[in-house]
Amino acid sequence: MSMRLPKTVLHNRSAKSNYRQSFWAFAWQTIVKKPGRLIGFIIILLFTFMGIFGPYLYPAQLPINPNAIYAPISWQYPLGADFEGTSNLALVITGARYVLFAAAMGAVFTVAFGTILGLCAGYFIGWTDSVIMRITDFILTIPSFPLLVVLSTVWNFGQPVAMGFVLGITGWGGLARAVRSQTMSLRERGFIEAARGLGLSPLYILFREILPNVGSYIAMNLLLSVTGSIYAEVGLFFLGVVPFQVNNWGVMLNLAVFSAGAMSSPQALPYLLSPMLAILILTLGIVLFLDALDEMFNPRLRGV
Amino acid sequence: MIEVEHLQKVYSTKGSLLNRSQVRAVRDVSFRIPEGGAISFIGESGCGKTTVGRILAGLEAPSAGIVRLDGVNIHQVAAGERRNLLRKIQLIHQDPYQALNPAYSIEQALSAPLRIMAKQKGDTARTWIRDRMEEVLTMVGLDPASVLYKYPHMLSGGQRQRIVIARALTVEPTVLVADEAVSMIDVSLRLGVLRLLRDLREKLNISLLFITHDVAAARYLGKGGRISVIYKGLIVEQGPTEGVISRPQHPYTQALLSAVPVLKGLERMGADRFILAKEMNAQSAAETGCLFADRCPFAQERCFSEAPTLIDGEYQYACHFPEVRQVAAVAME
Amino acid sequence: MSAELKHKQATAPAVQVRGLNVVYATNQGDLPAVRQVDLDIEARKITGIIGESGSGKSTLVMAMMNAVGKPGQIVSGSVEVLGVGDMLSIDRERQRKARGKELGLVFQAAQNSLNPLRRIGHQVLDLGRSHDVKDLRDLLRKAKDLLTRLGMDADRVLASYQHELSGGMRQRVGIMFALILDAKIVILDEATTALDMLSQASVLEIVRELHKERGLTTILVTHDMGVVADMADRVVVMYGGEIVEEGPSEFVLSHPAHPYTQGLVRAIPRISGDIDRAVPLQGAPADLKTYLEPGCPFYQRCPVAMPKCQESRPTSLAVSQDRKVACFKVTDHD
Repeated sequence: MSMRLPKTVLHNRSAKSNYRQSFWAFAWQTIVKKPGRLIGFIIILLFTFMGIFGPYLYPAQLPINPNAIYAPISWQYPLGADFEGTSNLALVITGARYVLFAAAMGAVFTVAFGTILGLCAGYFIGWTDSVIMRITDFILTIPSFPLLVVLSTVWNFGQPVAMGFVLGITGWGGLARAVRSQTMSLRERGFIEAARGLGLSPLYILFREILPNVGSYIAMNLLLSVTGSIYAEVGLFFLGVVPFQVNNWGVMLNLAVFSAGAMSSPQALPYLLSPMLAILILTLGIVLFLDALDEMFNPRLRGV
Repeated sequence: MIEVEHLQKVYSTKGSLLNRSQVRAVRDVSFRIPEGGAISFIGESGCGKTTVGRILAGLEAPSAGIVRLDGVNIHQVAAGERRNLLRKIQLIHQDPYQALNPAYSIEQALSAPLRIMAKQKGDTARTWIRDRMEEVLTMVGLDPASVLYKYPHMLSGGQRQRIVIARALTVEPTVLVADEAVSMIDVSLRLGVLRLLRDLREKLNISLLFITHDVAAARYLGKGGRISVIYKGLIVEQGPTEGVISRPQHPYTQALLSAVPVLKGLERMGADRFILAKEMNAQSAAETGCLFADRCPFAQERCFSEAPTLIDGEYQYACHFPEVRQVAAVAME
Repeated sequence: MSAELKHKQATAPAVQVRGLNVVYATNQGDLPAVRQVDLDIEARKITGIIGESGSGKSTLVMAMMNAVGKPGQIVSGSVEVLGVGDMLSIDRERQRKARGKELGLVFQAAQNSLNPLRRIGHQVLDLGRSHDVKDLRDLLRKAKDLLTRLGMDADRVLASYQHELSGGMRQRVGIMFALILDAKIVILDEATTALDMLSQASVLEIVRELHKERGLTTILVTHDMGVVADMADRVVVMYGGEIVEEGPSEFVLSHPAHPYTQGLVRAIPRISGDIDRAVPLQGAPADLKTYLEPGCPFYQRCPVAMPKCQESRPTSLAVSQDRKVACFKVTDHD
């Protein structure tokens, strides 16, 4: 009855891949399925490149041109020029790095704090849950933006990582709550009970059994908190509570409104609108791309 | 061997702070399963049979009572050792789809517990895990090469349940608790899974607790074992499987046997068959008399005032007016 | 037997299905779910349709009501319902009216058919309004009578939400909804599957009684051979989207002709006789790939398969007065 199989059958890698597409191949397939997702993906990719390579495209000191102060939109100045005659496009591209990097760090910290605390609270319940949830409530009740303003007065945000960390600390509350409730419903599921019955360690259960099942939700939040972080940090720069150390979108907005008077003089309007446009397009890209994530993380849809 | 003595479980329902009512899911349950033995718990939904299984599997703590595995009280040992002890008792869930993580292939599902076993045995050879994987899959009647890299959603219900059983076998259990293990599986595959559980019991000398509302399945799986009829958390009748089915004493057992559909053309209806129309009322807490009195067609005055106790002996039943009734269908030919 | 025969000639079938084909549109193309089904449902009888998941039994009855959900699609065929006409060709409004008035459907545990946010009484009124019932008071009275007949506290049930009712009670409420507009043909789709044995037995008992009292034509769709054997006058066995055997239930059970039916009957654990007579059926149930095979859908699991069975599909042929089987082993005699 018992049939011994040649070892090669089991160790054969192609036998394995017969039953599962690689994650990346499947992810690509879900993206190209709908044009909206593809557009969103391309936008995100574009901004990523902008963040990484943007500063290398221009000289360290952007050229100024006294003849082109507040120049209107033209081939030479696709987005107009600022009060010194510097191309707005160049300012947007070179200013992307700080903003995007800090936003990405902010999103990573938000998701890391939110996920780990949510998982622990939802799985261990009891007093662990009570303690974590009271802290969460505390974080949620404090208005995060004013807190950021206060923190920025005592903290130097020259490093985007520091900025990201602070954004993460103030923003994880909502995610932790959501992850906790999902974990709580998952822990009642048969496979988690089975894992406990098999004597697998709590860490294994948390990160290997539960985490993949909230993967899509976490990925979605990761992207959404990127936009959230951008709004928050740009807001801080705009208000001027953070010292300007490098050129970025928030600094542009601040200068456009408070120095160039974009609110009253229409010629400075392109200077105000160009960073806004960048934020708008990035948000649009993220929203369009979100649609693909749910499908991407669903193991049932992954083809044979 | 597993011994259970006076098991109780009380849930307090979430009402307002002042008004907390208590539900006695398990009132008093005692039984023992010898090595390689089988006991079937039958009863309708809400009778507490599932709770008994979950307590045994360590998923819930009893309010009172003792569970002893090979003489060791599992609730009186250190947490680390309890994990090792509880691993010997494996629960087979009703729904095999729920019981498997959709994100992992069968190979991944089996390798996690096997890695623990390998560590425990100090046998770290990579091939040991492989061999064992093949062994348990073959044991449950599956072809390792064709299922190992599949995902749960690619398998049929019967195959999935076999995987769940194979996964339970990886940790070399001495007790299997099968909670309605076949009710979600296609009919043509049900008997195959029941047969597998029966074979495992005989081959590996595993004790089996089978929880079900299906008397026929209990009879098939519990061949040579015992049956316990449970109502509102209390055992009302208990004895060797065949005997209880052919000579039921308690009206509740008789109601359960009557409820089994009669296969016209193959069976004759039992002469005393009766259909219980009244549903179980969980709230009616007439704690004074027999718990079944409000639904019992044969109840008399005494049943409402005095609770019957389980009489001792090979066949045990808790009824003031026991009477054998011919309710089970009889095979023709 | 002869009395039954006479009765049969006197009454036209309540539902007459001819050449019915239903496909499911998937990304792998159209997959047939019900293939070339001809079926007569006798009036005033209980017909049991039995099959496993994926056998097409639920699709078949949904097609009878012309209510196949997407991505399913009825490709061809006709469903003549007594007093209504061809459900597949009459206009939509008439179809909608027929569902409820002529054809009553009881779902599994009635969970999906009840609105969780409205009291049962309100839902009775909603149903009445959508079917242009003039006298809503009378409808409520009828609902009360029916619920009392079903052994429930009518006033309490009408004032309840679905979550306040137990599974068995919900199922009875489902039966009430199926009968309240005086439907004469009642379809129970896995109506007792989610219930435990005791509730199942009492619901089945009620179905049996109402069937007799109201002169209903009852169609019982289930995967449980026991339920069919206990209840039905006639049994229709489906496998892989086709009817493989049909006939009077007692005879089909005592003398199953198709290998699948034989296997099913043999695989029922029983509460009397020798336990070890029960033998498991081999293989896995028909899946979507099976439907595309040119041969008999049961070929892969069949213990008596011949080479011919892999190449072509057997058609359902009469083997006696009121019995049909689709199997070369049974119908070929040369």
